[in-house]
Amino acid sequence: MAERAGGTLPTARVRAEATEAKVVVRGLSVRYTSSRGTLTALEDISLSVQAGEFCCVVGPSGCGKSTLLRVLAGLIPCAEGEVRIRSDGPQRPLTAMVFQDYALLPWRTVLDNVAFGPENRGVPRAERYRLAREILAKVGLSGFEHAYPHQLSGGMKQRVGIARALANDPEVLLMDEPLAALDAQTRNLMQEELLRIWAEFGKTVVYVTHAIDEAVLLGDRVVVMTARPGRVKAVVPVDLERPRTLEQKGSAHFARLYNEVWQLLREEVSAASREAGGG
Amino acid sequence: MARQGGKAAAGRAAHPAALSVLSVLALLSLWEWAAGGGWVREAFFPRPSSVVAQFVVLVRDGTLASHLSATLTRVAWAFLVAALPGVAVGLTMGVWRGAREALDPLFAFVYPIPSVLFLPLAAFVLGRGEPARVLTSAVTSFFLVAANTLTGVRQLDRGVLEAAVHYGATGHRLFFKVLLPGSLPWIFTGLRLGLGFALIVVVAVEMVGAEQGLGSLLWLSWQTLKVRDMYVTLLVIGFLGLGATYGLERVRERLLPWQPRVEVRR
Repeated sequence: MAERAGGTLPTARVRAEATEAKVVVRGLSVRYTSSRGTLTALEDISLSVQAGEFCCVVGPSGCGKSTLLRVLAGLIPCAEGEVRIRSDGPQRPLTAMVFQDYALLPWRTVLDNVAFGPENRGVPRAERYRLAREILAKVGLSGFEHAYPHQLSGGMKQRVGIARALANDPEVLLMDEPLAALDAQTRNLMQEELLRIWAEFGKTVVYVTHAIDEAVLLGDRVVVMTARPGRVKAVVPVDLERPRTLEQKGSAHFARLYNEVWQLLREEVSAASREAGGG
Repeated sequence: MARQGGKAAAGRAAHPAALSVLSVLALLSLWEWAAGGGWVREAFFPRPSSVVAQFVVLVRDGTLASHLSATLTRVAWAFLVAALPGVAVGLTMGVWRGAREALDPLFAFVYPIPSVLFLPLAAFVLGRGEPARVLTSAVTSFFLVAANTLTGVRQLDRGVLEAAVHYGATGHRLFFKVLLPGSLPWIFTGLRLGLGFALIVVVAVEMVGAEQGLGSLLWLSWQTLKVRDMYVTLLVIGFLGLGATYGLERVRERLLPWQPRVEVRR
């Protein structure tokens, strides 16, 4: 894996021991080289996330927010800059990702999907099933242990995706537009669920979304990215009271924050769509 | 299922099946009537009832049993010889680009050659015995199994693969916990087609060169103008194919409960 020092991937994603922020990204750039030239996906990203923080990242389509998450996950090496993730337990994986399209293993039951991470780390069968059942109960999926993914609704599939990530007990939970494939009502319900689950597990979360209301409702801070190449344009602190509820979406304070983020995002979105239209 | 599914569902399910049976019965009656009335030559198209009578005769005197067992033994061996290396080669080609590029042209060249034509070649190497017949019958099945297995590996969702790797499935774990189970539906399709083709080629090979087997019985009946024997053999071969297809389908449903049932609606 990428976090092993001196590993085979040319990456500067490292397991850090020093006491600093939970996640520190410094001068990160990602470029793709193809026959048609070089494409800069991310340019000089610097960002830190505190332990236990819920950090949302918003940006126009194609700004590289998913790429940022994949670098944090170690799925894409970072050639320029560095990513440090503080480790509080030497056995714990640095990250666990929740994917937009769920990415569950269709031939495994819900229980075996959730136990997949621990299984690959050599956790004994009885122990990993106990853990998986416990987490499934916490995400509201008791009774569905032996169902297969194709038998579940989108919202339930994503609960499985979240349970799978939590079962791996990562230092940082990464979420890549986890609610984007759901209908509006289910999305609202799942936002409440996420608030509840986050409060219960106290994980550090980096959450990518294109929905401003979602970012403001869930996040302690909202990182606004520019159109490609993706840079950090601004960081908006969200000082809404916790524990949060869906009702806060109706408040004037929420509307002010929403507008602040939207004003920052607006010109980036039109820049991105101009680029998409032009080529 | 249908018993408790209400009258409407049961009716829909029963209707096409009833039609299939009716259409077969209608055809047979027409045939019976035409042959009996001298509209078609009974020497070539004997009445279905007389074919059934001959079937009983061939079952009673043991002729059918000995030919059937010879054919079934060959099909079983050919299927085994095709399936095991077929799956192995298909998986290798799926995960290793080098193997894919090396074998692709060979597959494209050999696969369309009618497999019976390999009989002389196999006989050069193995002599004119059972091994040559079995090997010849396995060729097309092998390619079918390998090609479907390869497709099974290649069609795996990239997102699912990425997630599996992210959750620690690397090396042998990636192979045994992700690639193999993920491609099983395609492997099964390959096996089903492969079994069917093994039967086809075994019968063809028996027609060209074997003393026992349904193919040789068919050929012999034709040459000696035992037309009823010929029809009996055809029927038995047809039912063998039917049994193989439905049998493997049942096995697939048992082994792959995670696949959404494909319901054919017409």
